[in-house]
Amino acid sequence: MAALTIENVRKSYGSTEVLKGIDIAIDKGEFLVLIGPSGCGKSTMMNSIAGLESVTDGRILIGGKDVTHANPKDRDIAMVFQSYALYPNMTVRGNISFGLEVRKMPKAEREIQVDKVAKLLQIEHLLERKPAQLSGGQRQRVAMGRALAREPKIYLFDEPLSNLDAKLRVEMRAEIKKLHQRLGTTIVYVTHDQVEAMTLADRIAVMQDGLLLQLATPQQIYDQPVNIFVAGFMGSPPMNFIKATLESESMLTIEMGDQKIQLPLAHNANFNAYLGKPVILGIRPEMITEPLEHKRSLACVKTLKLPTILTEAMGADTMVLAQFGNKELNCRVNPSYKIELGKECEFMFDMSKAVLFDPQTELLI
Amino acid sequence: MTNFQHRSLLQHIARFALYAVLLIMALLYLLPLVVMVLNSLKDVEEIRTGSLLALPQDPSFAAWSKAWGSACTGSTCEGIAPFFSNSFKIVVPAVIISTLLGALNGYVLSMWRFKGSELFFGFLLFGCFIPFQVILIPMAMTLGWLGLASSASGLILVHVIYGMAFTTLFFRNYYIGLPRELISAAKIDGAGFFLIFWRIVLPLSPPIIVVTVIWQFTQIWNDFLFGVVFSGVDNLPVTVALNNLVNTSFGGKEYNVDMAAALLAAMPTILVYIFAGKYFVRGLSAGAVKGA
Amino acid sequence: MCIQSLDIHIRTFLNSDNTPNPQVTLVAKKRPLTDILADSLPKLVLAPSFLIVMVCIYGYIIWTVALSFTKSRMLPQWKFIGFEQYTKLFNNDRWDVATQNLIIFGGLFIIICLAIGISMAILLDQKIRQEGVLRTIYLYPMAISFIVTGTAWKWLLNPSIGIEKIVRDWGFSDFTFDWLVNSEMVVFCLVIAAVWQSSGFVMALFLAGLRGVDSEMIKAAQLDGASMPTVYRRIILPSLKPVFFSAFVILSHIAIKSFDLVTALTGGGPGYSSDLPANFMYSFAFTRSQMGLGAASGVVMLGGVLAILIPYLYSELRNKNAG
Repeated sequence: MAALTIENVRKSYGSTEVLKGIDIAIDKGEFLVLIGPSGCGKSTMMNSIAGLESVTDGRILIGGKDVTHANPKDRDIAMVFQSYALYPNMTVRGNISFGLEVRKMPKAEREIQVDKVAKLLQIEHLLERKPAQLSGGQRQRVAMGRALAREPKIYLFDEPLSNLDAKLRVEMRAEIKKLHQRLGTTIVYVTHDQVEAMTLADRIAVMQDGLLLQLATPQQIYDQPVNIFVAGFMGSPPMNFIKATLESESMLTIEMGDQKIQLPLAHNANFNAYLGKPVILGIRPEMITEPLEHKRSLACVKTLKLPTILTEAMGADTMVLAQFGNKELNCRVNPSYKIELGKECEFMFDMSKAVLFDPQTELLI
Repeated sequence: MTNFQHRSLLQHIARFALYAVLLIMALLYLLPLVVMVLNSLKDVEEIRTGSLLALPQDPSFAAWSKAWGSACTGSTCEGIAPFFSNSFKIVVPAVIISTLLGALNGYVLSMWRFKGSELFFGFLLFGCFIPFQVILIPMAMTLGWLGLASSASGLILVHVIYGMAFTTLFFRNYYIGLPRELISAAKIDGAGFFLIFWRIVLPLSPPIIVVTVIWQFTQIWNDFLFGVVFSGVDNLPVTVALNNLVNTSFGGKEYNVDMAAALLAAMPTILVYIFAGKYFVRGLSAGAVKGA
Repeated sequence: MCIQSLDIHIRTFLNSDNTPNPQVTLVAKKRPLTDILADSLPKLVLAPSFLIVMVCIYGYIIWTVALSFTKSRMLPQWKFIGFEQYTKLFNNDRWDVATQNLIIFGGLFIIICLAIGISMAILLDQKIRQEGVLRTIYLYPMAISFIVTGTAWKWLLNPSIGIEKIVRDWGFSDFTFDWLVNSEMVVFCLVIAAVWQSSGFVMALFLAGLRGVDSEMIKAAQLDGASMPTVYRRIILPSLKPVFFSAFVILSHIAIKSFDLVTALTGGGPGYSSDLPANFMYSFAFTRSQMGLGAASGVVMLGGVLAILIPYLYSELRNKNAG
């Protein structure tokens, strides 16, 4: 029995359809991340799971129980909000125990639960303070504590790290992951940050315009994105897209001015239908590097000379923008590789993980 | 003289003029109050023969005690003291009830909106602006039917009904500024309509409660129209009594008593203003300017 | 106790040969009565106020309008006589005087209050020491009843003991300031007292507005070389337009409702030369037992308010939709 089942859920506001038939099922203990650009419907989906908004059609089941029309309090869920939504007039202790109080848990039990949660999140020393006296990171922990104290079936996180500064965000991300590993809770997590999605999720659900584009593990989404949008959305800097023609089962030709460049391909049975036809090549920046000796002899590798436009030193790598015909490609090179701007440099294309997309449907071939 | 020093002198003169204007205006605003205080301490002869602006030769509170306890307001000569208590008996319940109603209404209109609630708010807002002349006659007839004509309860009812529009406006505008996620979190925690109001929204309300109470107290205490139309001889508020006192003159006009009476009548609201003035200002601009 | 409703779900699957295969399932939606009640709670809470507003504001307005079409005197008489009361009203000399007075009083009151309000606000905005004390002094008149204001100014404007006497005592023996007893000038006494009472409020509104102007915009203008007067004229004042409008609406509302002030300051006199529509209405509806005429005057007053309010609301809504 799945912990959370979302069955063909649709939501309309008047004549605008915001969720167009979402189907997701997650298991107990799974960490699902909902990601997508603004307006894709992920927050609406989250609110619908929570019961804060109604659905126009479809069902939502939590632990096998149909909760589509149930109130939030009857769904056995807890939520951590982007703005934390802590009750300003109550102490941290009061905030964490409020939900338990409403459910009429006896005072002694409540105290035990609050202390347990406070210890877990290392906020014991903050219990008697009010939210206004806490820092952003501390408030975040209290918000999580409030959710943890209720021990619900499902935890909902609505962009909880968006209001934190970059360093704190990285710290809290690790905290959340550690908590998940330790407690084995079922989590649905909404974010627009694909780094968070990749690092935290067991599976990622990519949404766009109210549709679920792909539901898969982070690595699957990274390596086998279902369409160009997903490919370009996940991964930073984004995947390079180049128009090409599928010359043969193992070769692509790309027009660069009046030249024709040939790039090798790893064998894939799906390519047969596109022989001789135009396709779109997708290759990630880390697959376009400086010439690596140990790779030179590989079949899927080709070295080209390309003029360079721009470099960005990232510390561990250097990102280079190179001119490829009328396109600019993102390439990732070792910082020690000497680049002369404006001049041509050698770049090694590792095509082993390259993917092809249909130019009309934008789907993965 | 260098250019710099020259400019500095000009700035000094401008500054001086600025303060002079502000001071003159301040004196103009204070003039009636000062005149009333000074002359309430004089005897009638001194007022008639001397200048209103002159300091009292022999200041005494005789006029004050007469105004309080024995001046004639129409047919009775008990001073304005009984009317003072009338006003309190009317103002206190009216303020409490209208504030409570306003809080609940504002809570619903800001956090539990439903189809038609915004339209209702529009109707309410519009109702704040009508001249009361257009409801006086029907209200008088209704009170008659309810058996509340010329009664304190009737007047309280009227003040509650017509104050409710403003108090709702104040609370609704304030509650709209509260983060809505707070209510979502409370709903998920399991709290219902009244629990959320009692445990979360109300504890966040002291600023607007103070503003509303001060506004309502001032409005209702200073009201004259409803008082003169809906109250009876037994429960005239102090504003009506003051008007009667000043316009009744058996024999010569006792200006000093009149002025003392006026000051006494104005005292509660002026004291409220002095001690809670900044909330008063906030109330005026928050409710009036923000509108819809 | 549960209230059940049945819902029909039809899901169409595809058979292996791509033909549609609809499956019908009946799904019972159970919602406990307590939940339904809880959902209606907001509406229930609002219901009494809704009733009050509908009856005591809009219902009563309709009632008064209806009365204005009847022959009612001391008691309502439901005999409809068309617009007779309105004809009587517009032929009534006292009503003419009252409406004229309202236009003069209202116009002057609003303009002078706005002028004083914005000027004082600008002056106070110049980083004055003791700004708080000054603001308190300018605003306290709002805290007192119009009755007290009227009474106080009655003395000050009284020729035999007030300003005329004071100035004469200073040696200007020809000085006259007898507006209060002069039927041509008494309206201006109303203006003086009302402006004294309300200009501080307008000043507070404008001061809040001035303080709300984006300081970065001002700094940008100063960097562009504009002097302070220019900054005020070209940037700050235009951005105060909404405050002007709000102040205008509130002041006109105060002017139209003015009843207490007239009662205390002049009693409507000399004669009825300082009467205002509100006093006319009270007098005819309640003391002279001419309910129908009083009702008609009330309706006309409402019309006056609407004539100002509706264009204002219209322009507000247009701005909201445009911006």
